[in-house]
Amino acid sequence: MEHLLPAEIIEAGRAFPEALAACGDLDALLRLKGEYVGRDGSHAARLMELLKAAPKEQKRDLGAVINGLKQQWEEGLKARQTELEAAKKQLNALADRWDPSLPPPVPARGALHPLNRLMDRLVEVFRPLGFHVEEGPEVETEAHNFDGLNIPEDHPAKASSDTFYLAAHPELLLRTHTSPVQVRTLLRVAPQLAASGGIRFLAPGRVYRKDEIDPTHSPMFHQVEGMLVGRGIGMQHLKGTLEYALRALFGPHTEIRLRPSYFPFVEPGCEVDVSCPLCDAKGCRVCKGSGWVEILGAGLIHPNVLRYAGIDPAEWSGWAFGMGVERMAMMLSQTPDLRLFFENDQRFLNTMGGLD
Amino acid sequence: MWIDRKALAAEIPAAAALETRQLCELLASLGFPVDGVAVREGSEVLDVDITANRGDAMSHRGMAREVAAKLQQPLAPLAPPSVTEGAPRIQVRLESPACPLYATALLSLGEGATPPETQAFLRALEALPKHLPAVDASNDLLHRYGHPTHAFDADRIRGAVSIRQAKAGETLVTLDGVARTLAAGDLVIADEAGPIALAGVMGGEGTKVTESTRRVLLESAWFDPKSVKATARRHSLHTDASHRFGRGADPAMAAVARDLLVHRLQSWAGATLESAWTVGGLPPAPAPVSVPEALLTRVAGEARPLAEGVEALRRLGCTVETQPGTLVVQPPSWRHDLAIPEDLAEEVLRLRGYEHIPSVLPPLEGPPLPLAAEYLQRQAVARRLAHLGFHQTVTYGFISLDADAAFAVAGNPAEGRTLVNPLGQEYSVMRGTLLSSLRSAAEQNLRQGAREIRLFELAPTYTSGPQGPAEQFTLGLIWGGTLGGEDYLSPARPVREADLSGMARDLGLARLPEIRALGEGLFGFELPVADLPQAGARIIPTFRAFSRFPSVERDLSLLVDLGQSHETLTVAMRAVLPAGILQDLRCVDVFRHKSLPEGRQAWLMRLRFQADRTLVGDEVDGWVASALAAAEALGAKLRA
Repeated sequence: MEHLLPAEIIEAGRAFPEALAACGDLDALLRLKGEYVGRDGSHAARLMELLKAAPKEQKRDLGAVINGLKQQWEEGLKARQTELEAAKKQLNALADRWDPSLPPPVPARGALHPLNRLMDRLVEVFRPLGFHVEEGPEVETEAHNFDGLNIPEDHPAKASSDTFYLAAHPELLLRTHTSPVQVRTLLRVAPQLAASGGIRFLAPGRVYRKDEIDPTHSPMFHQVEGMLVGRGIGMQHLKGTLEYALRALFGPHTEIRLRPSYFPFVEPGCEVDVSCPLCDAKGCRVCKGSGWVEILGAGLIHPNVLRYAGIDPAEWSGWAFGMGVERMAMMLSQTPDLRLFFENDQRFLNTMGGLD
Repeated sequence: MWIDRKALAAEIPAAAALETRQLCELLASLGFPVDGVAVREGSEVLDVDITANRGDAMSHRGMAREVAAKLQQPLAPLAPPSVTEGAPRIQVRLESPACPLYATALLSLGEGATPPETQAFLRALEALPKHLPAVDASNDLLHRYGHPTHAFDADRIRGAVSIRQAKAGETLVTLDGVARTLAAGDLVIADEAGPIALAGVMGGEGTKVTESTRRVLLESAWFDPKSVKATARRHSLHTDASHRFGRGADPAMAAVARDLLVHRLQSWAGATLESAWTVGGLPPAPAPVSVPEALLTRVAGEARPLAEGVEALRRLGCTVETQPGTLVVQPPSWRHDLAIPEDLAEEVLRLRGYEHIPSVLPPLEGPPLPLAAEYLQRQAVARRLAHLGFHQTVTYGFISLDADAAFAVAGNPAEGRTLVNPLGQEYSVMRGTLLSSLRSAAEQNLRQGAREIRLFELAPTYTSGPQGPAEQFTLGLIWGGTLGGEDYLSPARPVREADLSGMARDLGLARLPEIRALGEGLFGFELPVADLPQAGARIIPTFRAFSRFPSVERDLSLLVDLGQSHETLTVAMRAVLPAGILQDLRCVDVFRHKSLPEGRQAWLMRLRFQADRTLVGDEVDGWVASALAAAEALGAKLRA
């Protein structure tokens, strides 16, 4: 019987299963359907033409073969259609589902400046001890910046090589430290000192000195000063306060060390070191192997500073300290170059000043 | 200052037994930290940091006195062969109170040279020997005993010598070869032809000792520290001598140093003493200082036996008398820094050791003062802006005149804010605006490849005024670049001026500040911090009742004109909605596309209702219909 079928039909019968399997989607299946069982020009149509033209005695057998082939193709196509439709449904279901492993939308990320963060932190540390914040202008008088602080007339800090002066106002300068805030505050509170029993405050802010800009110097930088005035205040209270604050800042096992030093506005004066917080005082690059890092200058307020403000040093005493914020920030963050704090590169600010 | 360990041990023999590290720790505990140690000329030299008030410590003898007091060990005796004084060979007149004492000697030099060990000592201290015994001996004395001396070529001095104030306009060529015009306040040594030295600062070229010098006139005087400091500063001449005289030399050392110098020249250079004589006398000693026991206790941090104070001060060279509850102290002639009771209390503590101060928290009298509202306000604004994605900057308070002019405001002339001595032209005026600095920072970030810039600063700006620049804390904010595009829900688009308006409104401002286009797609505004709403004073806000019934949300997709104001539309819609029940009304999507009718855009408005009861669908439908009608009255149309 086979010899009655043309070779192309025999080949189509053989190729069908493979072509069917190769249909990856419903569109391809539709094309295959047209090719095999479509109304015009398909393999099935060609077989029907053969059947019509066949001699009468062959029609029955030929018809059986042709029907068998057509049935095989139609069943195959239908089964594959079912398969592909199921796959498509599954795919659609997946597409509707949210992938929980996708990252969340990114909110814009901002940051406080690291110097402001450190100053805010210092205020937080001293707040429980009753310290509030006092502020003053950056353009100051010579009297507040020098005279009220027992800095003598011939002190080199007054020279134009060290301090910026205003052209139109020769008596005005850019404050070289935040200490004028101490003078202003003492002058203001002096009349009520007896009623209040004393005063304790921090003075954070920006200060200016005529330093060239390099990795460790800047003509503008920040200080945080602290002052406490009361009755019977001595060095033990300075040490106790600094020990408390520096442990809150650097960790509970931090040790502090006071060394004699000299500043015109305190007597006695001292430098204060902390055990290196970066190496646990074992010795590292930051502490130059000594285990100690110089952190601030301090001392008991010089009686002349109290007198200038109209406060009797026989009745009142106190202490003051001052620290450079940049220096401490550089040390704690191991930032190698001071200029990074003033360049305001968002990449630096992002790494340094993330929100708590 | 460099200190040679061998030379130190010559003054305080007990120091030789200390290891270098021990010696460094001991000096630091006394207030003289060591910045470094080097080995030179076969000896260790220490770089000791000496504070400005301790002129007395600027020598090996001075440092030895400190070590001896701490170790309670004796100093080596300082006993130069005494020089018998005779008749003056050159008349010396003291014509200024700034020089009360002038010890001198006239010598004829013989043959001889500076000993090799002295040359090595000077080299170790980075003081190059001159191979002129009169000069090297003077330098040797300066470093060992701290008293500056000077040798003049006696044959080049004309007539009598006077120590006097300079006449304004007089000139002197100093040893550094510089011709200086003198001021009336300068103290000079002069002969009858004019000044031959700036007293206590530097000698003159005309009378300097050279290899051909045969006779020298020595000077070992005491000059008033203020006079020396002023002269050194006026002429920018900061010498070894001016540092020591300027901080206060020991007047009692004047004659001793002269004798030591004479002895060195006799033994090194075979000099013959023609005569030695002294004009004037010691300046009056300051009055003794009374130190109350209570002060000693307060400074030490605890009560200590009074005898401990007596002992400590005597070890430092003071004369101490004890009265009930008080020490009466006469400081030694070399300690000009001990003038008030606190100075002496510090000395007692210093010798005992700061490590012994007890650690005590101060008593709190009265309630702590609150933090100022302005301070809290700045902190709150900074934190809020950081949470909104803005980076806080810190920029310099001074800018260039050009940058200032670009943001010039009437009534704020730069002249009133200009520095007389700026670091450079770009730092010459105190800024009247933050926007210039913020723009520079933003441009720098753009150059570094940042796609979006969000920066702000809270800092003073300055306004010129008759009393000087007035300061005002200002908030400056800058925003630019490409917004979004960094995740799958936020399409990228350029930052627009309107974004800054929204930000300004979000800060709760009563009045919108001017938004400025700053170029490169950057927009900014600034305003006084005082114009920002105050930070809430209440820590716990008042309770407001809230509904526990479910809320209902409805979306309205509206076609509106491109020029439609969001605020106008929402005000109109809110007006027709029940105020207590409408919880939220906002635009959650803006769609602009060519498929929409020309001149129109689509806004997706979301309405949320909630009441103290379950809401019924019909009533919500009614409210939504009213809202739609209100929108339609403004030309909006429900999108199909």
